[in-house]
Amino acid sequence: MKCELYEELFTGWINKELSAEEKGALEQHISGCDSCRNELQALQQLWGHMGQIETPEPSANMSVKFYAMLDTYKESVKEQRSLWADIKYHISRIWEWQPRWPMAYNLAMVVILVGSGYLFFGKNKSDDQDKQLKALSSQVHELKQTMMLALLENPSASERIRGVSYTSEIKHADKQVIDALLATLNNDPNVNVRLSTLDALTHLAGHAEVREGLIKSIVEQDSPLMQLAIADVMLKLQEKRSVGSFRELLKQKDLDHGVRDKIKQTITQLI
Amino acid sequence: MLKVKAGDLDRMGMLFERYNRQLYGFLFHMTYQRELSEDMVQQVFYKMLKYRHTFTGTGEYIHWMYSIARNVLKDHWRKNKQQVQHEGVEAAETIAGGLVPDEAFEKKQAKAELHRAMEKLSESQREILALSRFQELKCQEIAEILGMTEGTVKVRIHRAMQELKSIYVKMER
Repeated sequence: MKCELYEELFTGWINKELSAEEKGALEQHISGCDSCRNELQALQQLWGHMGQIETPEPSANMSVKFYAMLDTYKESVKEQRSLWADIKYHISRIWEWQPRWPMAYNLAMVVILVGSGYLFFGKNKSDDQDKQLKALSSQVHELKQTMMLALLENPSASERIRGVSYTSEIKHADKQVIDALLATLNNDPNVNVRLSTLDALTHLAGHAEVREGLIKSIVEQDSPLMQLAIADVMLKLQEKRSVGSFRELLKQKDLDHGVRDKIKQTITQLI
Repeated sequence: MLKVKAGDLDRMGMLFERYNRQLYGFLFHMTYQRELSEDMVQQVFYKMLKYRHTFTGTGEYIHWMYSIARNVLKDHWRKNKQQVQHEGVEAAETIAGGLVPDEAFEKKQAKAELHRAMEKLSESQREILALSRFQELKCQEIAEILGMTEGTVKVRIHRAMQELKSIYVKMER
């Protein structure tokens, strides 16, 4: 066996880690190999000498420094932890807040958004839209008015009634419309047209001209149907100025009996 | 150490009390400078605190300690390649320059020479001898620390011893 193969065992020999078996094998080898025996002896001696080299003791300073370092380190860790704990705590608080204030939060957001939306977009847009809408509605109004006036001139009674009915859709009837209606009321040959015109004018009784026109119209009417209707309207409007016109109507000798009674009743009710 | 890892930092004090001499001895035999060794012990324990989360607990605590100490040494040598100065050498020279040639002196001189011979070894050879002879670790433990097989450790110790012997013999002549 070659000597190199015993190198491992040499180490084991000198630091006394060999098993009995290994020890026996090495002993057998060195008994027959002078160089290995000498080598092992020298190395063991050297190993022994090395043991005499003293390892100095660390100074007390080292221990002091260590504990100072440990304390400092513990402090820094504690600070980090408390900081982390703080952050955690605040985060958990946020979760607590949420269920407690959702309504208030939502309402505040809605108010803010609506308010700002109104401020930023509302004014300009609604102004524009209002102008456009006004222009458009006035156009439609004019159109209807023109159409109504045209229809009142129509030879067909039903078309004229249709024209009169348009006035209910006209919110701000101007003088032109009122004059046209009053003319229809007094001059239209068809009693049905005049009745519906009377109806339309009753809705416009807010206008002083309409009331005056209606009062003047009492003596103009020769149809008993119209006379009764106009008496009802005057009663409804509580128009006392119409009493004079009704008295004049009573002077007419060919007045219907039923109408005469009705007018007398109306006069007493108005006075 | 697992308790330190779990946050019980006071346990590090216990570990220090148990291992500071051993660690200091290792570092001293690697550097032969007392103050430097003390500083390094401090560094090793600081790193153990700082990197306590890296201790897995699968191996022995002291193996981890030695591996950190070896890294501290490597850092030191990398930074101070130029200015290597050993107290041991100075001490030996002072003793060698003495005048009284008695038996005690010769013994001291022999020890100082062995010391100097140790210094002349390569760092890895000095390291393996420091671990085996001065730390009195078993070859199996050294193998774990250095990441070698036990057989390799044994051969390397033998080679280091042979090298030391030849340096020592040359010095005696």
